[in-house]
Amino acid sequence: MTRRLTGIPASFQRGFRRSVHRAAAAGLLAAALAIPGTAALVAAPAIAQETPVRGGVLNSIVQPEPPTLMLGLNQQGPTQTVGGKIYQGLLTYDQKLNPMPSLAKSWTISPDGLTYTFKLFENVKWHDGKPFTANDVVFTTSKFLMEVHPRARAVFSRCESITALDDHTVEFKLKEPFPAFIQAFEVSSAPIVPAHIYEGTDYRANPANNTPIGTGPFKLKEWVKGSYIQLVRNEDYFKEGLPYLDGITFRVIPDAASRSLALESGQVQQTQYSDLEPFEVPRMKTLPNLTMTTAGYEFVAPMAWLEINHRVKPLDDKRFRKAIAYAIDRKFIRDKIWFGLGRVPTGPINSVVKFYDPKVTTYEPNPEKAKALLDEMGLKPNGQGVRATVKLMPMPYGETWTRLGEYMKQALGKVGIAVVLESTDAAGWAQRVANWDYEITTNFLYQYGDPALGVARTYISSNIRKGVLFTNTMGYSNPKVDELFAKASQEIDPAKRQEQYSEVQRILSDELPVVWLLEMEFPTFLDKRVKNANTTAIGVNDTYESVWLAK
Amino acid sequence: MLGFAQLFASRLVKAAAILIAIVVMNFFLVHAAPGDPAMVMAGEAGAADEKFVTQLREQFGLDRPLYEQLGTYVGKIVQGDLGFSYRQQRPVWDILAERLPATLVLTLTAFILALAAGVALGTLAAVTVGTWADSAITVVALLAYATPIYWIGLMLSLFFSIQLGWLPAFGYETIGAGYTGLAHVADVAVHLILPVITLALFYMASYARLTRASMLEVRSLDFVKTAKAKGLSQSRIVTRHVLRNAILPVITVAGIQAGQLVGGSILIETVFAWPGIGRLAFEAVLQRDYQVLLGIFLVTSIMVILFNILTDILYGLVDPRIQVSQ
Amino acid sequence: MMMKSDFWRAFARNKGAVLGLVILIAIVVLAVFASVLFPGDPWDMATAPFQPPLSDDALLGSDMLGRDIASGIAHGARVSLLIGLTSTAAALAIGVTLGALAGFHGGKVDDAIMRFTELFQTIPNFVLAVVLVAIFTPSLTTIVAAIAIVSWPPLARLARAEFLSLRTREFVQAAITTGQSNTTIILRQILPNSLSPIIVSASLMVATAILLESSLSFLGLGDPNAMSWGYMIGAARTVIRQAWWMSVFPGLAIVLTVLALNLVGEGLNDALNPKLARSRG
Repeated sequence: MTRRLTGIPASFQRGFRRSVHRAAAAGLLAAALAIPGTAALVAAPAIAQETPVRGGVLNSIVQPEPPTLMLGLNQQGPTQTVGGKIYQGLLTYDQKLNPMPSLAKSWTISPDGLTYTFKLFENVKWHDGKPFTANDVVFTTSKFLMEVHPRARAVFSRCESITALDDHTVEFKLKEPFPAFIQAFEVSSAPIVPAHIYEGTDYRANPANNTPIGTGPFKLKEWVKGSYIQLVRNEDYFKEGLPYLDGITFRVIPDAASRSLALESGQVQQTQYSDLEPFEVPRMKTLPNLTMTTAGYEFVAPMAWLEINHRVKPLDDKRFRKAIAYAIDRKFIRDKIWFGLGRVPTGPINSVVKFYDPKVTTYEPNPEKAKALLDEMGLKPNGQGVRATVKLMPMPYGETWTRLGEYMKQALGKVGIAVVLESTDAAGWAQRVANWDYEITTNFLYQYGDPALGVARTYISSNIRKGVLFTNTMGYSNPKVDELFAKASQEIDPAKRQEQYSEVQRILSDELPVVWLLEMEFPTFLDKRVKNANTTAIGVNDTYESVWLAK
Repeated sequence: MLGFAQLFASRLVKAAAILIAIVVMNFFLVHAAPGDPAMVMAGEAGAADEKFVTQLREQFGLDRPLYEQLGTYVGKIVQGDLGFSYRQQRPVWDILAERLPATLVLTLTAFILALAAGVALGTLAAVTVGTWADSAITVVALLAYATPIYWIGLMLSLFFSIQLGWLPAFGYETIGAGYTGLAHVADVAVHLILPVITLALFYMASYARLTRASMLEVRSLDFVKTAKAKGLSQSRIVTRHVLRNAILPVITVAGIQAGQLVGGSILIETVFAWPGIGRLAFEAVLQRDYQVLLGIFLVTSIMVILFNILTDILYGLVDPRIQVSQ
Repeated sequence: MMMKSDFWRAFARNKGAVLGLVILIAIVVLAVFASVLFPGDPWDMATAPFQPPLSDDALLGSDMLGRDIASGIAHGARVSLLIGLTSTAAALAIGVTLGALAGFHGGKVDDAIMRFTELFQTIPNFVLAVVLVAIFTPSLTTIVAAIAIVSWPPLARLARAEFLSLRTREFVQAAITTGQSNTTIILRQILPNSLSPIIVSASLMVATAILLESSLSFLGLGDPNAMSWGYMIGAARTVIRQAWWMSVFPGLAIVLTVLALNLVGEGLNDALNPKLARSRG
């Protein structure tokens, strides 16, 4: 049980995910209410296809180069991919988002949903040799993360108390039930940091940030800035015989063309997230030495949308937003701009996330319907065929988003909505979106495994907070939606929770506070010799303790 | 030689004053930009709240009044400290020192190549004036002068790297090859060929045209006619008398264009994924890495000043009058 | 100033200049009649993506979203010429004003202005342009302003030199003794006489400005609403392996335009500065 050999083929999972995952989710939560988490784990079949061999160095890419590897202080994607090998969370999740052991070997949830008790592995050591205990977990979750980690702050502020019952048992008592709590323990949400190094220091200025000390199967050996990050096997890792790899080297390759060449020529055996430009993916997929999967991103489950400022007329009118939805062709966006990566969304919840419900109002491309809605609003075309003019500020995160902006301008122009594109860079964009100084922008947010963690934040009116990114910047407010999200976040009966989330999905898909464009998928390319990688919902960010290289 | 040293010293003083002015001007410029590094990092973290942004601003010193930030910065600059990039968690000087060699190798090689080849071609065109060689050089120079350098770069890599596979299309060295010693130098040299040619072509064209025009003008001057009358050989006249004088305006222009050469490296570095200062500048603007950006302005301005001094020295070496005074 | 017919005769003697003028006129015609030749929006996804040249509905091929390259080039000509001309005008305004003041007044004014000019010549101009446009967000106005700000120093130096030499001439001295105001002297006496070299430089600067604009757009710092040649090359750069035509044709358009402008500039030089023209082979 110490090895995670969940060798279910990704394609099998993907085909079945939609139909089975709701049942699985409900079943798991019911089970988790009183039964130790280890029991639920048996459900994941362990199929070891070949005998792992020890040795070898895996080469991958890190892009962009992270500012630090101290995962507690920085949760950028690249920091997670590298830091996830050094640090660990209490849990990880399978690709249906069910919890699995990491630093915690088992856990129980009290029937009232208020008390979570985690049993920790006992022979775990920090990379500097000091023993890992419950005290580290208490320090991390009650002090360290509360100070520096916005996402963890939102979760652990729900705790009444966090206590070490003994050296290897931690108890979290919640103020109110919050069933999503169990989804908040993977390595980027709550990386456990060493209390003996950080307690009582200025966390951000601690010199140890440059020499990260974790519990993970790999240790930092050398970081040549601008060139590579070299991780080596942690010989004292607490799981006997693991990790298999001697080390992992992450190469810094800032140029996209160079990255695809490095993968093609075998200089690296793995790429992830946005390492490759989408247009390269169809070609790389055909290479004989590589496999491609889009599994392993279930935890982040990104959703892209048009973020619309409801304070600007006529964007406050849902008919106008519906007209936008009818004017665009999301299949075109997926196929021609993202080169086939992604799924066409139906509503606010990504279809791989728990409590997704497809029975909602959907919007097929229908320009005539869009025009009819605009007519109904009294927006008649002028001499140039323009009914209304809006400003669109595409997200400055690379060419794909620029193309998307250009497509929007053309598609909306066809129904008489003239679009003026606004150009900006990352700093200007963040500043303007956070301060509601925009009309329409493109954006994508991670959903973090549970609607209460990653979906509600966009739509609830209590999260209309000026100056803060990734909030309800639209100014959308519907008391019914607020109430449903609030109830669902505390509902411990999964069936009732599903009802509440289904209802909120129906309301949102009718009111369209934002116009969902794409359930984004990222491609992970692996050399065929790399085995056992990408088995969990955090895919490439997991520890890689049981990854091995075939000779 | 005293005059030369004095000239040199006064130039240094002037350069220092200009550099301080550049620092102050750019300081206000980069702080005029909307958004700050804290917002960028909040955006990248995928989650943020008020506390997160406030903490970062405090840590970066962005909560202080602007004049105070300027004071602190200039104070450090005067002591030779370029500051600390909180974004990259490293001293700015370390970051620049890492990128500087690549840019210096690129621009210096391109500068020397452009000057040498430009003067040679211009001379050839001038001595063969009116023939097919002259016409060919003139046409090529006109074309090179009119072509955007990034496009030349793309076309060269399309042809030599993608079509023929002869030269690497990008990068400073072979990734992960781990060459040392001579093998490393050879590796870098191979990677250097396309970027250097791309950057040099435009300036080569410019110097060739200038040399040609200047030589034709000098040729008609009296002292050349005298030399001819004395019966000196054609090649001696060209090299000793005509070229020597004709090259002076070329060197002057080369000095003036130094800034363009350094700026042009942004484009070359983008096209060829060359890990130099130019691309760092571009990234620093986008990430609002103020300290790094200001450091780059300072360092590239110093490079321009050094190029100017270099051309002054060249001028001194070539100018016959200075030789006469010795 | 010389007679018009003399001017044309001198200009026409330079065969390259005539060729340049013909190309330039063709490009201007293309820009003016872009909407007639290629009706519809150049941003329209009019055909299938990645169509090679000589396809049925896309003479020069289509780009990654199915936009017509030929239409983009025609419409892009407008942006290039517009930015080239306006930014040159702006640079002239700054450069000639400062140069005139420095040259006319001399002394401390001259010194101060020249230090200021040096400041701008020391910062690598393209770096400054990139930073300016990035900071003030890309739009036609900011691009024109940035190009003007980095391009005026040589014009200022030129104007200063002209003013310095003309100031000592008899007709200017005469004007000074008759008590004409400085403004009148600068505008009426000196400026008209120093126009020839300034016109020549300006014509060459239009070419440089077009190159600068295309470089900015290539880096993704163009106006997102304006189809420009640099943008087309920049967007196509990543797919150059699969689709050469997307970057080759807009590049050729830039080369032709800049070449034509340079040739015309030389012709102007020959025609306006007959003294210097002799030095040509």
